[in-house]
Amino acid sequence: MTINTLLPRQIRFEAQLAWRHLRSGGGQTWLTIAAVASGVIIVIFIVGVIFGFQRRLTALLTDAIPHVTVQVPAARPIPYADLPGRVAGTSSSRTEMQAPQRKNIDDWRTVLAVARTIPNVRTVTPAVAGQGFASKGANPVGVSVIGADPAQQELVTPVTKNLIGGHYLGLAADEVVIDYELAKDLNVGVGDRIRITSVSGIPEPLRIAGIYSKGQGRGSAYVTLRTGQSMLAIGNSVNVVFVKVIDIYGADAVAERLTVLLDCEAKSWSSEFPNFVTSLKAQAASAYLISGFTLIASSFAIASVLVVSVQRKAKQIGILKSIGARSNQILLVFLFEGLGIAIAGSVLGAIAGIAVLYLSSLPKEAVGRFGGVPQSVIPLILDPLYILTAMAAASTATVLAALLPARRAAKMNPVDALR
Amino acid sequence: MASPVQFVIETVGLKKTYAGKVPTPVLLGIDLQVAVGEFVSIIGQSGSGKSTLLNILGALDIPTEGTVKIDGVDISTLTDDGLAVLRSQVVGFVFQSHFLLEELTCLENAVLPIAIRSGSATPEETEWITSLLVRVGLGGQLHKSPDTMSGGENQRCAIVRALANKPSIVLADEPTGNLDRHSGEEVFQLMRQMSAEIGIAFVMVTHDDRLARAADRILSIEDGLMRSLRNKAP
Ligand SMILES: Nc1ncnc2c1ncn2[C@@H]1O[C@H](COP(=O)(O)OP(=O)(O)OP(=O)(O)O)[C@@H](O)[C@H]1O
Ligand SMILES: [Mg+2]
Repeated sequence: MTINTLLPRQIRFEAQLAWRHLRSGGGQTWLTIAAVASGVIIVIFIVGVIFGFQRRLTALLTDAIPHVTVQVPAARPIPYADLPGRVAGTSSSRTEMQAPQRKNIDDWRTVLAVARTIPNVRTVTPAVAGQGFASKGANPVGVSVIGADPAQQELVTPVTKNLIGGHYLGLAADEVVIDYELAKDLNVGVGDRIRITSVSGIPEPLRIAGIYSKGQGRGSAYVTLRTGQSMLAIGNSVNVVFVKVIDIYGADAVAERLTVLLDCEAKSWSSEFPNFVTSLKAQAASAYLISGFTLIASSFAIASVLVVSVQRKAKQIGILKSIGARSNQILLVFLFEGLGIAIAGSVLGAIAGIAVLYLSSLPKEAVGRFGGVPQSVIPLILDPLYILTAMAAASTATVLAALLPARRAAKMNPVDALR
Repeated sequence: MASPVQFVIETVGLKKTYAGKVPTPVLLGIDLQVAVGEFVSIIGQSGSGKSTLLNILGALDIPTEGTVKIDGVDISTLTDDGLAVLRSQVVGFVFQSHFLLEELTCLENAVLPIAIRSGSATPEETEWITSLLVRVGLGGQLHKSPDTMSGGENQRCAIVRALANKPSIVLADEPTGNLDRHSGEEVFQLMRQMSAEIGIAFVMVTHDDRLARAADRILSIEDGLMRSLRNKAP
């Protein structure tokens, strides 16, 4: 009665009667609440586990790569006819020639400044990247070279944690850090000298400051930004800017924004791994599908219980109509009943779902490295947004399920009901 | 209201045939007038159509033919919601079984028509209903549930419920049918008093000749037609 007085007066009767129905419904009321709650628990758990696995997989994949890579647009052949400043009428044959196009980001400081204004951006690292040959004595081995400030590059591609010897931070201008595969091919160790010849053609003598191992595949050779610039002979320019973002799934948006804001081409990590992204989407779709079917199943259960309860209340509906209740009032009584079940069920389901998630996150994996943080065996996500969405979806499904019996009740003919 | 209504109920050539595989004609042309504050009893054999007539007079059902005016309003002109408003404010029903809601207490049941009309009863309205319940001897049962009250008590509560919205007419279908002689008598006297005091017309269907004779007027339904048995001497 006290809560009831908070409601608008016109619907107090309906709310009060719905509440009394639920209270006198006893076990049946709890049954329907449990049906909603189990729906919510299942949805929270499924979504939590699937998105948890996705997060972990994505983190594993993107941890050691730039999330967004900013470069000048790739050189394209431009038809001669489109070249600015050509002499009119000189071309009868459709000659095509290489137009003078940019290769480097000369105004990279602007790029950094612009990138830092985008909220999701965590770090921005200017770098030079290019191909070259590493040699010790005779046989040259192909290698990709990245020149960047070690402290900044470390945030893009962790090198230090993979070092098996030497150091990366504090790299000097005549030093390089190479990967284990290259060291093996060249048969060199930390402290040895090698040469790296890049497009400039000038062999750069470098001392090996460190050797790292990624565990699989070949890695780049890391030099300082200055050294890289001189090896590629690009002066004070860079040819790439690496961006790391905070929310990995927001990388596409950041890339788009950068492309719009800058005269550059920004590519997100996801465009490098289309299959991975597709499989993430398929997983997400299956999570939503399972959730949807769960909610549909629970609303069928609720609908059937409510249909029976309306049938049992036929006489009461007849009375209410005989003492002046309008069809809409009857409808509202049963909708409120559904709403009560929806609210109680989704709140209880959310509490239980969070508890289930928390309990299943307790088992931890054994820590591999010293100082490592133990990870749960089942990666989980407890996102308030997902939980609220699950609650809202379950509540909507429940109220929709109540609509059918409620309409049936509203349409009931009082004379038939009273007989 | 523009002109004072003389009759709370007025039917002309009222016919009712139940449709079905075999159509059942029940009422074959009833002309009935019930004056303001009048107490009328209707008798007739089982199956003669007494309940059918009462349901139509209370706007719960519609006639097949003929006109029915309740409180001066032709019910064929009303929408479903209009009929509901009529049932809420002009008509009160009392049935053979009390039909109280078991989820509600005696007092809540009695104020239910007010709650349906306006959401919830004001303290004044609740006070008025409480005084009526005290009058009918239910002062000690206000917060009891119907299934813990006797048949007579429940029926008295149902009568108060029928009066809650101060209707012009109360239709009672065998209100004492389920009660023993003594409680039946009590319930009947109560209805008579209320009718006289508040000026509400009553139409009561009964099988009890003694009670029927105590009304202002006795009508009988035979073969689908209405016969007037006796007018009370003025
Ligand atoms: N919905 C219906 N469909 C078909 N026939 C009906 C319907 N309702 C009532 N009847 C029939 O109409 C006739 C009158 O019924 P009604 O209930 O009005 O009688 P009654 O006079 O109230 O009888 P009783 O004294 O037993 O209560 C009966 O023959 C009954 O079978
Ligand atoms: Mg009858």
